[in-house]
Amino acid sequence: MGPLSLLLLPLAAALAVNAGQLSIQSPRFTVLSSDGNQLRTEQISLSKKAKEPVTLGPTDSLKLTFQVKEEGGEGVQPHQTFLRFYDETTGEEGIQPVKVTASGKAKFDFNMARPPASLPPSGAAPLKVSLILGSFVHTPATVELFDLVVPPSLSAVHPDEQTFHPLPEIQHTFRPEQKVPPKAVSAVFTGIVLSPWLVLIGLWGYLQPRVPHLFSLSILPFTVSLGALEALLLWYWVELRLGQILLYGAGAAFVAAVTGKQALVSIGEHRTGRK
Amino acid sequence: MAGPKATAPVKGTSSSTSSSSSPSAVQTLWKAYLDHTAPRLKFIDSFLTFLVLSGVLQFVYCVLVTSFPFNAFLSGFASTVGQFVLTASLRSQVNSENRTLFKDVSPERAFADFVIGSVVLHFFVFNFLG
Repeated sequence: MGPLSLLLLPLAAALAVNAGQLSIQSPRFTVLSSDGNQLRTEQISLSKKAKEPVTLGPTDSLKLTFQVKEEGGEGVQPHQTFLRFYDETTGEEGIQPVKVTASGKAKFDFNMARPPASLPPSGAAPLKVSLILGSFVHTPATVELFDLVVPPSLSAVHPDEQTFHPLPEIQHTFRPEQKVPPKAVSAVFTGIVLSPWLVLIGLWGYLQPRVPHLFSLSILPFTVSLGALEALLLWYWVELRLGQILLYGAGAAFVAAVTGKQALVSIGEHRTGRK
Repeated sequence: MAGPKATAPVKGTSSSTSSSSSPSAVQTLWKAYLDHTAPRLKFIDSFLTFLVLSGVLQFVYCVLVTSFPFNAFLSGFASTVGQFVLTASLRSQVNSENRTLFKDVSPERAFADFVIGSVVLHFFVFNFLG
């Protein structure tokens, strides 16, 4: 690119010598309201900038007309014609091509209701609008036209912008710790819930069940092994693990089954023998 | 069939015990029960009474105060209910008036079933107690 442009430089210089200056004739803008009323129409002074910027409402449209002429007086069609919207504060700019007829006449309009995509998002400062003309045979030209105030952009932020922020920290909520009733209430109800034992003991004391063979050699092992099973379960509740209780319990249950068989057979013999 | 505490002994006996002073039906029932129930059935019945009282009181505690260690309440309550069911079935099988219903089941066999069921129930209860 570098060497090429170096080669082109003399060519461009030669052209520039011959080329005439491009100039803008009768530039004019019109601000139209949405129902077609002319709100403002003015000749654009190229020498001194207009004091008042051009202001567009949200539904207004802007119409810009001008003619590109050679220094001599003929209208020409530049090879490139652009409108540049530039926001000095944000540095954003938008380039919009403009169609120019063969006679150099150009008409450009846009509607704020459907602004061109190239229009930069509006900041605090007005946009500087300038016209850029480029041509192979003429000296390129940049013409400051006017300042443009457009209504604030509706979507200055990207639609997905809010998804690119850290989410608020997740606050887990837990069910509040359940309250233990007061010690007195617990104690009273412990007594009440245990009181049926008194009833049971009282009733059994009243009935005086006879257990004549409880301590006989055939029955005692059975009751002992049953007691061992229950004690094992209690131990399981306190500290044993499931695997241990299954192992020990299987052993105790086997003993209980054998002794139970013996005990119940002996009881059956007692019963049938008595009958 | 399960747990008819006083029905079995009352059969056919109420007429003989009712006197001319026409006591109330409840009194008659109670007297017949006391007079005509085998001591070992009374023994079982007192255990059943204990289970009912215990379960009801636990439930009352759960309703009135708190169900806080809920698994403890459930296992306590379920143990009384389950033990009641097992004991009631033992009672109906041991009862000599039901002999015809349970010809194949000797009282020893019924007691063995009761013991096995109780041990399994207690295992689950302790497992659930937490």
